[in-house]
Amino acid sequence: MLRLLSQIWTVIVMNVRSLPQRLWMSLAATFAVTVVVAVLLSFLAMSNGFSKTLSGTGSEDVAIVTRSGSQSELNSVIGRDSVNILSTASGIAKTADGQPFYSAELYVVVDGKKRSSGTEVNIPMRGISSLGFDLRGGIEIVEGRMFADGTNEIIVGRGILDQFSGFELGSEVAFGKTRWTVVGVFSTGGSAFESELWADARMVQDLFNRGNSFQTMRIKLSEAGNIRGLEEMIENDPRLILDVDTEAGYFAAQGEALEGIVWFGWGIGIVMGLGALAGALNTMYTSVASRASEIATLRAIGFSNVSAFFGTLVESVVLSLIGGVIGALVSYIFMDGLTTATIGASFTQVVFTFELSADLLQNGILLALVIGLVGGFFPALKAARLPVIVAFRGSA
Amino acid sequence: MTAVWHYISLIFRLLIRIVTAPVWLPFWIVWWLFEKTGINRLIVKVAMALGLYLVFKNLTRKPLRLFLTMFATFVAFLIYGTLSTFESAIDAGVELSADDRLIVVNKINFTQPLPISYVNRVKGLENLTDVTHLNWFGGYYQDPQNFMAMFAVDEDTFLTVYNEIVLTPEERQDWLGSRQGLIAGKSIADQYGWKVGDRIPINSNIFSKADGSTSWEFDVVGIYTGTDAQTDTSSVYFHYDYFNETQSFGRDFIGFIGVRTVDPAMNEGVIKAIDDLFANTPYETETVPEKVFNQAFIEQIGNLSLILGSVVFAAFFIILVIVGNSMVLAIRERTGEIGVLKTLGFKSTRIFFMILAESLLLAIFSGALGLLATSLAVVAVNQAPIQLPVLVLTPAIIIEALVIMIGLGLVTGILPAVNALRLNIIAALSRQ
Repeated sequence: MLRLLSQIWTVIVMNVRSLPQRLWMSLAATFAVTVVVAVLLSFLAMSNGFSKTLSGTGSEDVAIVTRSGSQSELNSVIGRDSVNILSTASGIAKTADGQPFYSAELYVVVDGKKRSSGTEVNIPMRGISSLGFDLRGGIEIVEGRMFADGTNEIIVGRGILDQFSGFELGSEVAFGKTRWTVVGVFSTGGSAFESELWADARMVQDLFNRGNSFQTMRIKLSEAGNIRGLEEMIENDPRLILDVDTEAGYFAAQGEALEGIVWFGWGIGIVMGLGALAGALNTMYTSVASRASEIATLRAIGFSNVSAFFGTLVESVVLSLIGGVIGALVSYIFMDGLTTATIGASFTQVVFTFELSADLLQNGILLALVIGLVGGFFPALKAARLPVIVAFRGSA
Repeated sequence: MTAVWHYISLIFRLLIRIVTAPVWLPFWIVWWLFEKTGINRLIVKVAMALGLYLVFKNLTRKPLRLFLTMFATFVAFLIYGTLSTFESAIDAGVELSADDRLIVVNKINFTQPLPISYVNRVKGLENLTDVTHLNWFGGYYQDPQNFMAMFAVDEDTFLTVYNEIVLTPEERQDWLGSRQGLIAGKSIADQYGWKVGDRIPINSNIFSKADGSTSWEFDVVGIYTGTDAQTDTSSVYFHYDYFNETQSFGRDFIGFIGVRTVDPAMNEGVIKAIDDLFANTPYETETVPEKVFNQAFIEQIGNLSLILGSVVFAAFFIILVIVGNSMVLAIRERTGEIGVLKTLGFKSTRIFFMILAESLLLAIFSGALGLLATSLAVVAVNQAPIQLPVLVLTPAIIIEALVIMIGLGLVTGILPAVNALRLNIIAALSRQ
């Protein structure tokens, strides 16, 4: 057994050392794997970053209430009376002065200009009150100041500043007839809220002729994840035609919007992988053919065919893995941390960042490994079954 | 030990054959058909007659390598073909938009409403032929996941402004004469199995009726097709009056106005006239040509063409490297033979063109197979019950693919061809 292992090792070292003789061929195979892995990982990183952004937005101890069947904040309408009724439900946390801890909010869409294309896109504008700030927590004004109640002042998320033009601190923005001044920039640590404009809820009601109605109600729960009290109230009161979910659940569902990208990425990755596999097979068959006499010599002096098999297989796997690692590095360097924006479930732009995780990198390396194994297996089989006499005759 | 090894490998190879059948079977079937119908022999004869016999023999001397190289090229063109048809389908929304059609939306954003009185005020302006209005309904069928592009429209002006919608005369009459009538595009009707005469419930995720219910009943009175193969037929339209009378809030508001101008050259004047008319009202408007509106709508998703383009580029780059390499290798192996050919009096230029012809044949033949597979994939996708635009393998895509094939063949063949051209007979023969 030990002898066999040392034989295998000898052949592997020999093969790997002789790689420079087949430099261009080997480079081509490696390069193909590099591109395949880089393409696959880019798509996975895109989908992963999007769902991370949205799942990081929702909190377990906040409930979100929308009109029944509306599915997104944008489509929802909740009257002031419904808000008042629901605020008496059980399971709602209390503020310091003993009031139910909730925030009734508006969510409307305005135009903004995307930096990358220069075209107008949908940007969400949230009408909010200071309770909404306290309820979310983790919000930081990184530049400027908070808007003053009862004024046409807005604060913008960091993602907005990054991806869309016209919302710089101090600039004036026109929505319809009204003019608004950007007085601050806020950060929520990378969540989807950073893709929003925030202003005083009452001012937004006026501008968009919403009277005294809202679109969503955010409720701080006294016990994280427990929305039983709210559900019971909605079920028992026929005036309340509402849906309730934890904010975490609501945003996690929205994060699935780009899941199709994962399928697309794998589809393209596998089809391109087949192309790279053809390249790997070509390379390894050539490698075996060019080493036929060496292999025959080793066999003649007593090396087993198993060592010839593994020698070729390992060469292929090594080439492929090098390609895979480079591909992973390339996508990590160029894709990880790339910020972009796309349209989300609420029909508005969501700014998100490509994120490569260790799990995803594993996927890329796995694909490279499979290409290397399959691409090496058949040529290795050929090497192992090479008849010694024929090999010598062929090289003579 | 050897015997066991032999059987294990035999079984394993058999398994691999079976598993990889979808990949090799099509090639095998093509070969088999060609063999049976005598096309293979014909190709040989044609090749002989054209003086391409050597080229043909050289190509097929290592069938395995030929197959692998062809397969890699095939994959690249399959990716190119499918992604291009997809991109062209998306662009069709922009390409097919009428030049003389304008869209009037709320200046704040197109999701904001406009008062219905605006329609009549626009109608009073000059240089336009027809005016209609549409309202996004947020409709879904049975499951909230099955959302669709559904609009409440003014039944007769809608058909004149959007004249790419094709209905039979009977369907048209039923549509105009009904109240709860609905017309659905062919692709969405096929998806949900709707037929003319069906009564279907549709929910809205935006609007609700006075009783709080979000479900509306509709009669399918027509299934429309488009004037162009790529016209989108996944939308659903129904009567604004039915909508306006039954819904509970925001009555007498509409989503946007569609306007047809007398001539595209008049667009600019009409745009200015409309936006000026409503300046300084609570609902200011923004009027844009439909093309611009649709383009901006696609841009909302992100730079799709950049993403698709990068993938296609990456795929071709791999194939260029793989095929280029195996061509260089294949010619290098034949150094001695080329020396012999030159000794026999074959002109260097002829050898040069023979090698180029070899790489060109390889690229064009495998590329054509890739396009063939694309056309099959297109049929499959179009028949699959999923919400995708109608894919069409347009002549433009085929021509572009042909150009790429020729380019690929030239680029991969040029280096070995030049090497062979320059090859010195003595060096060639002594290297052997």
